[in-house]
Amino acid sequence: MNKFVAYLKSPEWSPYVAGAGLGVVTILALLLSNALLPAPQLLGASGAYENLVAPVGLALDPNNLYFKSIMPPGITWAVLSLVGVFLGGLVSARLSGTFKWRKLPDKQWTEIFGPSVAKRWIIVFLAAALLEYAAGIAGGCTSGLAISGGVVLAPASFIFIAGMFASGIVTALIIYRKKY
Amino acid sequence: MTIIAPIFIGFLFGFLLHKSGMTRYHKIVNVFRFTDMTVLKFMLSALVVGMIGIYFLVNTGLVPNMPITATHLVRNLLGGLLFGVGMAGAGVCAAPVAAGSGEGRLDYIIPGIGGMLAGALLFGLTYQAVYLQINKLTTEARLVIPDAIDVNAWLVIALFTAVTLLLFYILERAIKLRRNQLEA
Repeated sequence: MNKFVAYLKSPEWSPYVAGAGLGVVTILALLLSNALLPAPQLLGASGAYENLVAPVGLALDPNNLYFKSIMPPGITWAVLSLVGVFLGGLVSARLSGTFKWRKLPDKQWTEIFGPSVAKRWIIVFLAAALLEYAAGIAGGCTSGLAISGGVVLAPASFIFIAGMFASGIVTALIIYRKKY
Repeated sequence: MTIIAPIFIGFLFGFLLHKSGMTRYHKIVNVFRFTDMTVLKFMLSALVVGMIGIYFLVNTGLVPNMPITATHLVRNLLGGLLFGVGMAGAGVCAAPVAAGSGEGRLDYIIPGIGGMLAGALLFGLTYQAVYLQINKLTTEARLVIPDAIDVNAWLVIALFTAVTLLLFYILERAIKLRRNQLEA
């Protein structure tokens, strides 16, 4: 028991253990959503941001097809799940003692980009907007498409992962140049 | 239950994202530099365990059907290519931004979530002008690999598992070799 508690408190798990755990979570998601929803769904994150921003979209364009009928405003399963993701991160960080208010990531970022908070925040904003838009085009993000599509063996997932790694490698090469 | 269940699922997901290091900039970026393969190990482990469990539940009839993501070559590939730029550019990802917000990261809470919402807004507003035009380029299909190539699903799963385990073995060997070289 003490060993188990100590493991819950440790700041970093083996990625194999955490990954296998995530696999179990997709199975749980199938069981629970199948029991509770008209159609089952697995994991997802990008869709929740769309539900959350839908009221703004409809205020700007009242007849917008997407926010009116495809991703309407509402506290959906996806939105609640995203709230859960936040709480899970919070509890894990509190347990392992890594919770800390901070404006910048670890030292690897500052070694490359410098200590400017403004620079970090602008880059995060642009990157987040780009990848959320990209998730819309692709049909999901790393969780909603790569994981949820992969566990059912949908080709979509593997096409997405290939694209993500190809451009990710090129982007890292450009940013890190000689330090790559 | 319909309120507690998704929060519970998300909670476990966020907990594991934090434990695996996915809320940290360098963990995400370094997979693209081949200096830390945590992202790949985490994703592939989840895929292997998840596919075995999900196909078991559906094959035994415990669950009638599973949600199948639509395959559309152009959209999946183009989306993936754009996604990777954002991921490697700032070391962020849609769910880890929420999990990392719970760790006290203000760069996730403010520009991170703000950027996600801005991207979602832009996507919805340009849905007809952009998404539907790209969607016209080829047809969409809701299919799975075993049906597409007409082989038993368990054969595909066994093969995927074998290749993944082999890859893990090679990765761990390579990490050990590199560590020994650094020490020498």
